[in-house]
Amino acid sequence: MATTPFEIELDDLTLARARRGDLDACESIFRKFNQPAYSVAYRVCQCRESAQEITQEAFITVFRKLGQFRGEAPFWGWLRRVVVNHAISSLRKAPKADPVELQDFHGKAESASDQVGLAMDLESALAVLGTEDRTIVWLHDVEGYNHREIADLFGKTESFSKTRLSRARSQLRDLLDAGRRSKPSRNAAAR
Amino acid sequence: MRYSKVHIMQKERDPLNLGSLPLVAPPSDEWPLIRSALVKHQRRRRFTRYSGGLLAVAAMLMLAVGLFIHQPDLAPPSAPATATAATTAPQTLDSLITLSQQLENRVRTFRSEVGGMPTDSLVYQVELEDLIVQVDDELSMRPDSLELWSQRVNLLLDLSQLYQNQLRRDYQRMASL
Repeated sequence: MATTPFEIELDDLTLARARRGDLDACESIFRKFNQPAYSVAYRVCQCRESAQEITQEAFITVFRKLGQFRGEAPFWGWLRRVVVNHAISSLRKAPKADPVELQDFHGKAESASDQVGLAMDLESALAVLGTEDRTIVWLHDVEGYNHREIADLFGKTESFSKTRLSRARSQLRDLLDAGRRSKPSRNAAAR
Repeated sequence: MRYSKVHIMQKERDPLNLGSLPLVAPPSDEWPLIRSALVKHQRRRRFTRYSGGLLAVAAMLMLAVGLFIHQPDLAPPSAPATATAATTAPQTLDSLITLSQQLENRVRTFRSEVGGMPTDSLVYQVELEDLIVQVDDELSMRPDSLELWSQRVNLLLDLSQLYQNQLRRDYQRMASL
């Protein structure tokens, strides 16, 4: 069972050809991993253009540094680390957005209750989270990072990672509950 | 039994089932851009390899000419040529090291300020940094090499110029908003 979308097998021959600078082999690697790479970049920055830039930079870095990859750990793990590092560093450079408070979200939801797409599914609930919280919950729950690894990425302590994860999950649960509650009332109004 | 254990572990790790969200598809195919960046990099690498020796000779020549033009009066007129070289060389080495440190500080400041770079610039930046690392490796074996220090200064100048251009573009973009 794959634990992360990145966990894709790569044969040694393709890797060796790419190491020698064979562009066809590089393309084959790119095609295999592009979507998981783009997805994780998108989940972190929640912006299509930035995710594209991050993915592009990460692949260029990976292909250029392929000679330094010693093959002790799987290739996908190394690639994912490069993508995540690029994404986190792009967050540091981007102007800080204010984290959206839960009350703000409820307020907006009540005032615009007649709008289509009000129901909070997982996707839109994620988008409402603050950048760091979203990144932490995604890296931990989907990509399988542990608290030590997350703490290292952010240059913080493990407690920081644990606190943020717990906060992010609880915010997500609240948002999903709010979405579920608003669904029946909207259906009734439609009738 | 085995399945349920895995299922429980998965549920514990991802209680909200975020992993069930589909992968996000990139809006366009980025391979042509990446390919062209890699091709440029390979060409530049080949060029650097072949012209490396030539550049080193040119740098030495320029340095020698520079020494001759700018510091001819450092040595007393009666001093023999060998003595002149001995007195001027350490000073030049010191000034190159100082310049290298200043440039490194400048690059560090630029790096913290600059936003995302276009692919071409990024490739160039990584390349320059790689070359600096190579020069540093050689410097660890020959720390007093004028040639290596002048190469390091030149590379840092290029890197600093690259960041400066990007910052200028960033400011222009912000001003146009």
